[in-house]
Amino acid sequence: MSIATPRAAGSVRRPRLSKRRRQEALWFYLFVSPWIIGFLVFLLGPMLSSLYLSMTDWDSFTPAKWVGFDNYKTLLTKDPVFWKALWNTCYYAAISVPLSLLLGLWFANLLNKQIRGRKLFRTLIYLPTLVPLVATAMIFKIVLAPHGPLNQLLGLFGIEGPDWLLEEAWVKPALVVLSVWGAGSATVLFLAAMRGIPRELYEAAEVDGAGPVRQFWSITVPQLTPIIFFNLVMGLIAAFQVFSQVYVITGPNLRGGPNYASTTVVMLLFDQAFSFFHMGYASAISWLLFLVILGFTIAAFQTARRWVFYESEVK
Amino acid sequence: MMVATISTPLESTSDPAEHQRRRSGGRVGAFRASPFTYATLMIVTALLSVPLVFVVSVALASDQTVNTNAFTILPSAFHWENFVRVFSSSLPMQRFLLNSIIISTGAVAGQVLSSGLVGYAFARLRAPGKNVLFMVVIATMMIPTQITMIPQFILFKELGWVNTFLPLIVPNFFSNAFNIFLMRQFVSRLSREMDEAAMVDGLGFFGVYRRIMLPMLTPALIAIGIFTLTATWGDFMGPLIYLNDESKMSLALGVQYIVSTSQAAQSPPWNLVMVGSILLTAPMIAVYYLGQRYLYEMDITGGSAGIK
Repeated sequence: MSIATPRAAGSVRRPRLSKRRRQEALWFYLFVSPWIIGFLVFLLGPMLSSLYLSMTDWDSFTPAKWVGFDNYKTLLTKDPVFWKALWNTCYYAAISVPLSLLLGLWFANLLNKQIRGRKLFRTLIYLPTLVPLVATAMIFKIVLAPHGPLNQLLGLFGIEGPDWLLEEAWVKPALVVLSVWGAGSATVLFLAAMRGIPRELYEAAEVDGAGPVRQFWSITVPQLTPIIFFNLVMGLIAAFQVFSQVYVITGPNLRGGPNYASTTVVMLLFDQAFSFFHMGYASAISWLLFLVILGFTIAAFQTARRWVFYESEVK
Repeated sequence: MMVATISTPLESTSDPAEHQRRRSGGRVGAFRASPFTYATLMIVTALLSVPLVFVVSVALASDQTVNTNAFTILPSAFHWENFVRVFSSSLPMQRFLLNSIIISTGAVAGQVLSSGLVGYAFARLRAPGKNVLFMVVIATMMIPTQITMIPQFILFKELGWVNTFLPLIVPNFFSNAFNIFLMRQFVSRLSREMDEAAMVDGLGFFGVYRRIMLPMLTPALIAIGIFTLTATWGDFMGPLIYLNDESKMSLALGVQYIVSTSQAAQSPPWNLVMVGSILLTAPMIAVYYLGQRYLYEMDITGGSAGIK
């Protein structure tokens, strides 16, 4: 058994493995077996059945009925809620992800200066990210209440805050506010990366007469682009799967928000599957979501060549 | 560019060049702190802290304050008995807490037991097809959980596992791609001398893993334990799908359940709900502070990625 791949060259290509090596391979597969079994039972199997289910009409009680691409056709051409959910999710991702990154970058830059009490400031910025999502959503449910702290705060400046969670125009910004509260996770990563930037670069810039702002944009930001990119991709993937906070914050009476204003794709998927038992239709939604995520990830990698700076390129 | 960086503050300051470099730090524009820096940081941290202070304020409020929605940002009353009442009232809060502890313990045990073994095998053992298999592991990281959610639900329903903890615990005994990747990286950085010597002495592969590797893997296993704990403890969607009975709910689901069931008739007992939220949050803060050195030891820049 020589499964020769071009990668695993040399040693593997020998026609027969020595007894010792055969034994080692046996142990390898024994040790890895938990993952292989898990992969087959919980991932590959479900993926294939999900693909099959997405082409059926099935309520999980009566036998499934094959419908071909009908679910996809209905979703893309006849279901206004799906398009609304997709738009809501894109809106959320397009604002919350860059905003969290920008704020994270800004906070990290402030913390990177020679200041007293850096540890305290850093802890206070990071603390919100340790709060579990459900608790965060629960907290913001009251923070964003008509007479909650946010509107009290706005009231100090003479602004009458809206009823955040009940008005169609404000429920998405409210979700963005919630996500921005967690900007501390990006801050900590950026700060760690900033500490690794060679100080000589700044000293040279200082000699050349560059001010702090110029130094930030010409040294700090380019040096951080790899980690900004990493965070952008991970953030986008997570944002497209946003669910728990929407469920908690707009539930239970107004699930999905006023007039579907905060129905996200996963929210719709969940309701179709576990409230209406449209298992086939929900499976089709999950595959469309996968394609959208894949598309944005590929797009991000395509643009990366133009703006992500890797040290090894300039020498 | 062979440049020493300043990133290790513990280095001795006896080196004059080093000393010079650090002194000059304050004079470089990018690092100069102005009163504006402090003012901004204070405003930012104050704003970020408002929700946290508010949680404490609501948690300590009286029932009357709750019923009249007369909350204040800073606590105006200190009803510490809320923290006791939450366990004696009709809300099954202690049940939720116990369920969360059971589910999390099981999940952590599963990931720690399986990830170490699989990661070690990928890092050290040689076998045909290993590289292809590892590429599959990495590729699975890109597949969103929603794709497998429905068939997995059907599978567990057929097994009669709905409304038990098993769907939330058992899959963890089969490891996951992220943990395998972390373990493999960690093992690859360890010296091979120890396990090769032990191999010469006639210890088998499992013996090497158990006697030699396991002690060295402890920090990595603790880090994986922390990631699993935070993910499981705060998980909402899993319990929402699989746990229907009030007596089976986890704390994260239970807190939401209290709010959703009481909404119709009267306003939810926000003070007790916020005590629940604090119960949900406090262990995470404790775990982070006790475990952060292990997280740093893992040297994962995406360290906090596992937390949410």
